[in-house]
Amino acid sequence: MSRLSKLAVNAEGFVFDPDFGDVFTVNLTGLSILDGMRNNESPREIAKKLKQEYDVTLEEAEKDIFDFNSQLRVHRLL
Amino acid sequence: MMNECIVGISGINAVDNPGPGVGLARALRDDRQLKVKIVGLAYDAMEPGIYLDWLIDKSFILPYPSSGKEAFIQRLAYIKQSYGLDFVFPNLDSELPLYSRYRTEIENLGIRLFVPEPEQLRLRDKDRLPDVAERIGIDSPRTVVVGSFRELPGVVKHIGLPVMVKGAMCSAFKAHTEKEAADFFSKIVSQWGYPIILQEVVKGEEMNVVGVGDGEGGLIGQVGIKKMWITSLGKIWTGVTVKNRPMLKAAETFVREYQWKGPFELECIVDGDTVYLIEINPRFPAWSYFAAGVGVNLPANTVRKAFGLPLTNGSDYEAGKLYIRYTYEAITDLDTFQHITIKGEN
Repeated sequence: MSRLSKLAVNAEGFVFDPDFGDVFTVNLTGLSILDGMRNNESPREIAKKLKQEYDVTLEEAEKDIFDFNSQLRVHRLL
Repeated sequence: MMNECIVGISGINAVDNPGPGVGLARALRDDRQLKVKIVGLAYDAMEPGIYLDWLIDKSFILPYPSSGKEAFIQRLAYIKQSYGLDFVFPNLDSELPLYSRYRTEIENLGIRLFVPEPEQLRLRDKDRLPDVAERIGIDSPRTVVVGSFRELPGVVKHIGLPVMVKGAMCSAFKAHTEKEAADFFSKIVSQWGYPIILQEVVKGEEMNVVGVGDGEGGLIGQVGIKKMWITSLGKIWTGVTVKNRPMLKAAETFVREYQWKGPFELECIVDGDTVYLIEINPRFPAWSYFAAGVGVNLPANTVRKAFGLPLTNGSDYEAGKLYIRYTYEAITDLDTFQHITIKGEN
């Protein structure tokens, strides 16, 4: 099981990592991206969803996903 | 089911560097099916547990373990005779060798123990950490045992700075310069003697696991935590339960490989998939009530195991439970202080 799938995430964006005891908070955009990744959606699928939900271009959404992924790597969640 | 069990608990010094005793008393009280009376075994009249009469029924002052076997065992025999004592949890590092070495004599008094054997106790020596870590499948920081001041500069150079300077049993300081390392070295030698352990500083999350081994290779239970906030003395103030699989597996292996009997705490640094073993404590840590609070009542199950009773206090817990230590004040008359000072019991 990947670390991402083990995370406890609530609807307000509070994230707990049960392996390492780390806590994080994510905003609504981050929550949408995290939900998508945990459901094994592709970056393109997540970007399309963000485009619909937040009235952004596909390019902007893909950049947000890229940035979010970088943050996940920093915290060794990916 | 036994009618009533009188359990002695030491380490009732609930101070800024707290002993585990008061937490153990709370945990035993939480097991409603276990009828216990709790005896506080103190070394000083000011140990707060003596005054917490809703947790501890009666307290006695013990002679220091350094006063020798005879005085110590005589005092236990007196407590057994005058009040009753069926089981003892020794919770302090200084008294464990005595209980471990003379457990047969103590048990012959009718006082049961659940402690590691002398050879198991030696596993906690810091110079044995690398061997233990390797045997249980985890890492340990580079560690060098130093027997003289002359060796120090070369070892510091070999390990690099910063470096941990530790006593074989107690005390640990982080040195950032060679001079600091020399100062800490002298300080520990003057207090605890040789050898001194120099250890590489490793990066990662500070995590601990408390557990109890049944002496036959099995675990009575275990709980893993991460320290979120510590005091200036390095003691946990806030923590959270974790389920770090490599660390918990290492604890299982530790108990199986060494047939560990009794409580233990493994102090670890976890960096991704790498777990470093930093210290082994052959007793309950001061935060042990955390385990009982999340459903794994290790003290109660230890007493149950010792008396052949069914274990009913859970072996699993949820990750993400928070532990908050707080301060509290108890107000009482001078009577208790007077009795414990003059008579050695309240």
